Amino acid sequence: MEAAYALIGYGLAAIGPGVGIGLIAGNAVQAMARQPEAAGMVRTTMFLGIAFTEALALIGFVLFFLV
Amino acid sequence: MITAAETCDFINEVVCKPANVKELFEFGNFAGTQISRTEVLILLAAIIPVVVVFFGLRKKSVVPGKLQSAVESIFTFVKDEIALGVIGRGGEKFTPYLVSIFLFILVGNLFEVAPLINFPVTSRMALPLFLSLITYFIFVFVGIKEEGFGYISHLVWPPGVPVALKPLVGVIELVSVLLVRPFSLAVRLFANLVAGHVMLSLLLASAYFFLVQPGGADYILSKAPIGLAWFTLGLGIYGFELIVSILQAYIFTLLSAVYIQTSLHPEH
Repeated sequence: MEAAYALIGYGLAAIGPGVGIGLIAGNAVQAMARQPEAAGMVRTTMFLGIAFTEALALIGFVLFFLV
Repeated sequence: MITAAETCDFINEVVCKPANVKELFEFGNFAGTQISRTEVLILLAAIIPVVVVFFGLRKKSVVPGKLQSAVESIFTFVKDEIALGVIGRGGEKFTPYLVSIFLFILVGNLFEVAPLINFPVTSRMALPLFLSLITYFIFVFVGIKEEGFGYISHLVWPPGVPVALKPLVGVIELVSVLLVRPFSLAVRLFANLVAGHVMLSLLLASAYFFLVQPGGADYILSKAPIGLAWFTLGLGIYGFELIVSILQAYIFTLLSAVYIQTSLHPEH
């Protein structure tokens, strides 16, 4: 039963970062389309943003295993 | 996993719980030694980049061969995109460190999709934690070297913030820099690789269970399409994990560079 609760917790933890990564990637594509010469810089910043956002989901994932 | 499942009676049991399920998580040591599989793989992950770089740069020709241009492009990528692109002025000093951890993590991650190995060494928490602690000590050391005691006092009492907010921002900043940074750096690499490894094992093991199983011909025919579907999905995830392995090595190196940069040029 505890595992089921942990699973629900992980699902909840994945909602926010999912929306966040979608926003980041979408806006990065828009920025690259508007200014293709800045694509390299935008891509680096996008990966940074994704990495920071993803951490929240991953912490949820690790906690799921810890329970 | 496969050996554990072979003790199952697929025909009579719907839900099979192998009696020796613990063996899945305890690989044990090689016979007669105290060396485990993970340790051998960590050693391999350290040796392979050294060998590749040594043979790639042994004869430095003006027109580079295949191996030399591959090694040189990795070096140029890390130097230009990460060291100089992120750290900027003073980034050359950290290029050797960044190239080393990039190659080490890359090889360690690629063990996940390497046939017959299929085990990412970076999915054991000790390794990412150790690597992130090295980065942690480097950026704290650089910060203290650049600003002296001001590094800590700027964290606790940040300049450029209204006085009323300073204690609150200081506490948040202190916790996020000194505790959350190394932890999240390690957990990011670890959890990505564990998730990928678990996903691959589950998909490919279920493909094995459905395709290769005891039972009559009609039993196999009824279950084989399911196994084929799992196998196709597993192969797709295999390609995805290849990208994830390379991307996570890049992200770890990139974030190390970003953390060093915030200590080196605190005004930004």
